[in-house]
Amino acid sequence: MVRLLRVKRRRDLRRQRAQFGAVIATLFIGVALFGATSDAYRNLNASYRTLYADLRFADLTVTGGPVREIARRAEAAGALASIRAVTDVPFEVDGSKLLGRVVGMPSDAQPLVDRVQVLSGTYLSPSRERGVLVEQHMASHFHLAPGDALRILGPGGWTTVEVVGIAASPEYLWPARSRQEVLVPPGDFGVLFVPEALAQQLSPSSAADQVAVYGAGPGLVSELSRVARSGGSLDVVPRSEQPSNAALQEDVSGFGELAVLFPILFLAAAAMAAFVLLSRLVRSQRAEIGTLTANGFGRRTIFRSYLGYGIWAGLVGGVLGAVGGVALGAWITHLYTSAISVPITVIRFSWGTPLVGIAIAVLAAVLAAAAPARAAASITPAEAMRGTTPATTGGRSVIERLVPPARALPGRWKLALRNIGRSRRRTISTLVGVVLSLVLVLVSWGMLDTTSILLSRQFDTVQRQDAQLYFAGGPATASELSAARAVPGVAAAEPAAELPVSISDAGRSYATTLLALPQDTTMHTFLLEGGGTGHLSGTGLLVGKALSGLIGVSSGDLVTVASPALPGPIRLAISGFLDEPLGTFAYVSLPGLEQAVGTNALANTALLRFAPGADRSEVLNRLQAMSEVSVVVDSRGLASSASSLMGLFYVFVGVMLLFGGLMSFALMFNTMSANISERAGEMASLRTAGVGRATISGLLTRENLLVTALGIAPGLLIGYLLAAVFMASFNSDLFTFTLHVRWTTLVLSAAAMLVVALVSQWPGVRTVGRLDVAWVVRERSV
Amino acid sequence: MSDGKRSGATLRLEAVVKTYGTGEIAVHALRGVDLKVGAGEFVVLLGPSGSGKTTLLNVVGGIESPTSGRVISDGVDISSLDADGQTAYRRDHVGFVFQFFNLIPTLTARENVGLIAELTGGQDDERVVGVLHEVGLGKRLDHFPGALSGGEQQRVAIARALVKDPPLLLCDEPTGALDLETGRTVLDLLRRVNRDRGCTVLLVTHNSAIAEMADRVVHMRSGQLEHDHRNKVPVAAEALRW
Ligand SMILES: Nc1ncnc2c1ncn2[C@@H]1O[C@H](COP(=O)(O)OP(=O)(O)O)[C@@H](O)[C@H]1O
Ligand SMILES: [Mg+2]
Repeated sequence: MVRLLRVKRRRDLRRQRAQFGAVIATLFIGVALFGATSDAYRNLNASYRTLYADLRFADLTVTGGPVREIARRAEAAGALASIRAVTDVPFEVDGSKLLGRVVGMPSDAQPLVDRVQVLSGTYLSPSRERGVLVEQHMASHFHLAPGDALRILGPGGWTTVEVVGIAASPEYLWPARSRQEVLVPPGDFGVLFVPEALAQQLSPSSAADQVAVYGAGPGLVSELSRVARSGGSLDVVPRSEQPSNAALQEDVSGFGELAVLFPILFLAAAAMAAFVLLSRLVRSQRAEIGTLTANGFGRRTIFRSYLGYGIWAGLVGGVLGAVGGVALGAWITHLYTSAISVPITVIRFSWGTPLVGIAIAVLAAVLAAAAPARAAASITPAEAMRGTTPATTGGRSVIERLVPPARALPGRWKLALRNIGRSRRRTISTLVGVVLSLVLVLVSWGMLDTTSILLSRQFDTVQRQDAQLYFAGGPATASELSAARAVPGVAAAEPAAELPVSISDAGRSYATTLLALPQDTTMHTFLLEGGGTGHLSGTGLLVGKALSGLIGVSSGDLVTVASPALPGPIRLAISGFLDEPLGTFAYVSLPGLEQAVGTNALANTALLRFAPGADRSEVLNRLQAMSEVSVVVDSRGLASSASSLMGLFYVFVGVMLLFGGLMSFALMFNTMSANISERAGEMASLRTAGVGRATISGLLTRENLLVTALGIAPGLLIGYLLAAVFMASFNSDLFTFTLHVRWTTLVLSAAAMLVVALVSQWPGVRTVGRLDVAWVVRERSV
Repeated sequence: MSDGKRSGATLRLEAVVKTYGTGEIAVHALRGVDLKVGAGEFVVLLGPSGSGKTTLLNVVGGIESPTSGRVISDGVDISSLDADGQTAYRRDHVGFVFQFFNLIPTLTARENVGLIAELTGGQDDERVVGVLHEVGLGKRLDHFPGALSGGEQQRVAIARALVKDPPLLLCDEPTGALDLETGRTVLDLLRRVNRDRGCTVLLVTHNSAIAEMADRVVHMRSGQLEHDHRNKVPVAAEALRW
């Protein structure tokens, strides 16, 4: 008896293979993406953890203040500590001048904390006082290899050093200069690990200035942090806030979020598609099921049999997806670690992910099958044998009721409008398909739009300078400024002070960069948090909006600003919060700062704007050639290097568009198939009346596009809101991700949905075209 | 198609053969049928189940093409038409009525009839209402199929076939899904339509009682015409018993 049902099920599956295929494909994508993203999440975390443990990545890094005291306390508590000199100084490599960083290291052995992995060449050696290790990102940008030479500018002038090796460092896996400058164009920043003695020599102040602690638990970390803050340390950075690690964690947690979002979207779509398919199957098999019950098949047997369709689809989709996910996850992890140059890639297979993937696929499909299976089990023999399907009750559509003139619409429009209410299941299913796809599309496309709008906001609106100069002599003097202005192609130059500072209030502090600009600067637009633009005035401090949450201050509050470049801490009042895309900077007027400090020679850099139409690289070269200039920063370098970043992004969005399209295709295809199978009788009777195929295709197309169009508005809205939530989860003092979606994106996604609707109905419309009218009128009883 | 009476179609079938499948599984549904039907005749095609009645009707109506032989309607050989030609032929010449009504449940009686009119050439609402009055549904124009009885639904289906004013009306077991009483009124309606409009009617049934209302009865058996006779005095539909 039950064997018979199994045979029947196999035949049904085969007959409706396209429809079951659509369900299975959607489950497959959902489970595969779940597996891939959660494996990537797990593997990347494991890779970082392994690397961090191998290289003893610091749990806490303190700059300035009582570093020796902190090292002593850490060691007393059983942790490891390394003290080192860290200085940002100009480098010159092959004629390019950049502001790099030198980190002191013991030359006889690796440091206790924050070790490096030598990728080529050798580690430092006491016999080579001028031998240095180059951090891998800089080495690859400048094609540096052991044996090459470069120059470093110290207090005593340019020093030539020799590359002894290329190294990877846990502190610079992502080469961020600071939390303010997480995205640095390659070539604008680089790190050299040098013998401690050389680092000391290059430092302006001879005090050892940084301590890195490893092996400290949370308790010790917070105790040491407290000691540091009260001792006047400039920067106190626990591992979680370390710029490179924080940037990488943002990405990894993105994988974690996608590992939740993807399966939810796809499994919901698959479940809906399975529900529509099985509901129609049960309805069309009423007579068969009635015959079975008449012949003594129990309700439970019938229920289990139809539930079996769901279990099968879930198992097939889930197992295929799990296998795909494991492969895809390993591939993504490799792709990612090699793109970022993580020297260790850990790929651990774990049964957990595929098993969970299979389980959720089966669960989704079984949930979808439950209602149709229950409906099948409740069919009574008498009811089924009567051969009448439950009458669809007619009624005017909502639109006709609300807008009476709609009642005068031609029949084909009425047909389309009323079809919306005809099968609520199908209408909802199409709507769900449209909404889910738009969510997927908008979340990914919104990320792209937000990033590119954010970059253009940063580089076209906020930051108005074309280049920034640092001078070999230190301060930016009037004569140096006029020399810069005299360079052909330079339209304007303003003096500025750029200082590493710590801003603190009531025991909480935040390390950032303070930029002091002329009161009426033309090099920066201050976008205020609430909208509008602000201005520098007096000693008022404008700060990035993240600061209010970070140290708990509001407008008008006095804060303490300390910097090694200032004789002592000063107190300034916050005059406003800024909404800036990148970083959380602080700004003050240069005269105001000088007044507060009591000196008038703080300017240490110059901001330049080029003449319109000037050849940028030409002007940059001329500036590089100036003997007064130690570093030239191309302020638009990030904007231009961002376009290559965007390239990858477009691929990602393209893939998401494809998946979104597939998902709604699967759902709409099944809905359309169910629609056509239910209405074969009607369609055939229209055909016998001499209505042409094209006309019938037109009717169906009109119906489908109408329902799809209905789903577009809520889809765009829900997609937008979810994308905003998703984006906001990446918000921090590093980036301000406020969702921006271009209107063209909305229009294009809506259009894409209509195209998918057209494509997905095509097989169904073709079926109607090929409908064997003679067969239908012979057999059909509707 | 203008208003005013259109004369009924003439039909001529010559050696019509219809075979489904080939070889061992071939089914010979029609085995060489010759038949002539005059304009305005009311012909009942009578035969047991499986004798080929529906096949014959479908071939005459341009739903199926014969395997061989010719079907000439009003002088036009429809057996050689392509799909588009068949559609146009059905649109302009044929009204079909089936056992199952196949109405669109989301459209009212008036809209069901109106849709066909709209999709096949745009008759006006006046004509749609006129046809529904003609089939006796003047008071139920705006009812949805779900609110109509089986007989009423079949009348909507007849109105739908008639709205194009076809010269040929083909009915396949039109009373098959109806009870005796309702069936008789539907047959009466068909007879009246034949008389008033002058259209040729071919009605298929396996019920020999129905044959008594026809001008002419053609008996079929195993894909062949067995016997063709005329009723001297066709019985009124209301008087039929089965
Ligand atoms: N599409 C088809 N394929 C194969 N055989 C068919 C097909 N349509 C009808 N037949 C067969 O042709 C014969 C005549 O059928 P039909 O014209 O429907 O008979 P009737 O209407 O008199 O009951 C029957 O044996 C039927 O099974
Ligand atoms: Mg038949």
